[in-house]
Amino acid sequence: MSDLACPRCKTTKYRNPDLKLMVNVCGHSLCENCVDLLFVRGSGSCLECSVPLRRNNFRLQMFEDSYVEKETDIRKKILKDFNKKEEDFSSLREFNDYLEDVETIVFNLTNGIDLEETKRKVELYKKEHQDSIRKNRAKMSKEEEELEDMIATEREIVENNRNIIQAEINREKKQKLKQKEALIDDLMFSDLPANHIVATHQQEVSSQKIKSSELKTTKFSTGISMGKRDAFLPIKPVVEGKVFTYSPLTIHTAGPDFPPAHDIQNLGYLSHIRAASDQERAGGYEASLACERALQEAFCGLYLTS
Amino acid sequence: MFSSSTQLKFWTFSGVTELNRLRAEANETYVSEYGKNETIYYLTAEDETKVRRHYEYVIKDFCTRFQPPMPRSVLGTALVFFKRIYLHNSIMDYHPRDIQHTCVYLACKVEEFNVSLQQFVAQLKGDREAAMDVILSQELLLMRLLHFHLTVHNPFRPLEGLFIDLKTRCEDIDNVERLRPGAEEFLDKALHTDVPLIFSPSQIALAGILASGKNAGVSLDNYVANKLLVSGGQENLLKTVEHIKRIKYMVKNQDPLIREDVKILERRLDACRNPENNPNSETFKRKMEEYLDDEDEKKAKKRQKWEEVRLCFVHSSVYIQIFLSFSRRNQ
Repeated sequence: MSDLACPRCKTTKYRNPDLKLMVNVCGHSLCENCVDLLFVRGSGSCLECSVPLRRNNFRLQMFEDSYVEKETDIRKKILKDFNKKEEDFSSLREFNDYLEDVETIVFNLTNGIDLEETKRKVELYKKEHQDSIRKNRAKMSKEEEELEDMIATEREIVENNRNIIQAEINREKKQKLKQKEALIDDLMFSDLPANHIVATHQQEVSSQKIKSSELKTTKFSTGISMGKRDAFLPIKPVVEGKVFTYSPLTIHTAGPDFPPAHDIQNLGYLSHIRAASDQERAGGYEASLACERALQEAFCGLYLTS
Repeated sequence: MFSSSTQLKFWTFSGVTELNRLRAEANETYVSEYGKNETIYYLTAEDETKVRRHYEYVIKDFCTRFQPPMPRSVLGTALVFFKRIYLHNSIMDYHPRDIQHTCVYLACKVEEFNVSLQQFVAQLKGDREAAMDVILSQELLLMRLLHFHLTVHNPFRPLEGLFIDLKTRCEDIDNVERLRPGAEEFLDKALHTDVPLIFSPSQIALAGILASGKNAGVSLDNYVANKLLVSGGQENLLKTVEHIKRIKYMVKNQDPLIREDVKILERRLDACRNPENNPNSETFKRKMEEYLDDEDEKKAKKRQKWEEVRLCFVHSSVYIQIFLSFSRRNQ
């Protein structure tokens, strides 16, 4: 952003953080101050391409690239007239051709290709389709209508909810008032002792409270309601598969059984092979490992019949 | 473990008859596919066996002369690879001269005997660069021919195991170590027969010890019958003893190899081998070039596609910018 600069006064964004670049129809930018200075009279010509410009056509530059800025501007203008919708065409193919034409016009205007001819084309189109352009402008597109509908229904729902809540509050208030009045009435006309009456009334109120709190259920966004009775129903028993039972590994050797690993030393096998050196033992090697392997290989497959 | 290995599942056969049938089939397939030229003499399955056995000895020579000295299991694995390949393929299709070194090189890797390719090629005579190319280009092919079953159970470790067991459980036999040279010699001989493709490595090792014991005048019958195989019952004992007899017979009765015959057969082999797999032939070079051209073309196509995608992206980004600006104005 720091290289943003006004082409006239050379102020940069760095030196003046409030710098606002403005752009007009030709796509060349100027800073706000320069616009104020140059177009005091309301009109003038562009510094770079000397196209006549009006001051109120200046607007804030939104893109760093003025080419894009110019393009959007032109596009906006063109689309005001070329405002046909898909439903105006009998086939998708035609609609696509139409869009292609619009793109070509926009491209030509931005890049200055066949400028005169393109402008003439646009004028011609405007004249030819005057009625439909006006009609289309007035008519809201289908999508917009749908959107409007959606917003309206949403608003309705919110309104409804609010009404329900309000009614609930009113009802509660009324009830409380009624209870109070009933209490006073009882105190005034009943023969029972006063503290007895107060106690029964309190009981009634508290029981009602419990009832209302029971009825209240909160619904989560996922649709699960909380606070309902059936949440405490017992969990259904899960049917489990068969329990795993360990069975020791059986090795089919096709030969006589070899002496078990822990007995190799006791049976005296190790006395006939070279003992492991200290270095070898440091690496985890034991003489019994080699001995066991040799014995296993010697016995394995002795009974093999091909 | 051998009992759960691919060696038992895929590479252990019932006997010599089955092996010979497979080899004859491989020979027939090659001749029916490439044997159109009637002026050339195509090798028969018997001829192939002779050449193959000759090359097995060549491999052995190479391995024993190898510096640093390599463990015997490398030789064993290399020879088993070699045998497995020519069970399902004819030597006319893949010349053993090209295959042999790749077999040894691959066996070095499989048996964790670490040699670099430069070190390996330094042991060869002739053009070392070319040998390097051959080995590298054929390594993958070789693995494919082996169906990627690379683990080989050699009889060498079972032999050690049997010696340990013998020393531990038969203290009445003195100086068991004197049986070792005879047993090892037996295993070496066994590697040049079809025994590794028929029997389990432990059976071969046991046969080696028994043969060596017989020569040294030591009777091991008591050990075998009452200690080693006692848990398997009479039936298993008899079967194993019969197998060991077969192994001994096969190792002792090998046909002698006549040098002159092999020379003639090799000359014939040069004429009838598959030119597509011969690195020196025109067909092979042409095929290689086509393959490389294909690669180049693919790369060029890929680059072009990328360029298109990039342009497309640039265009669409411009449109997106325009669209955004328009919609912002509308708000």
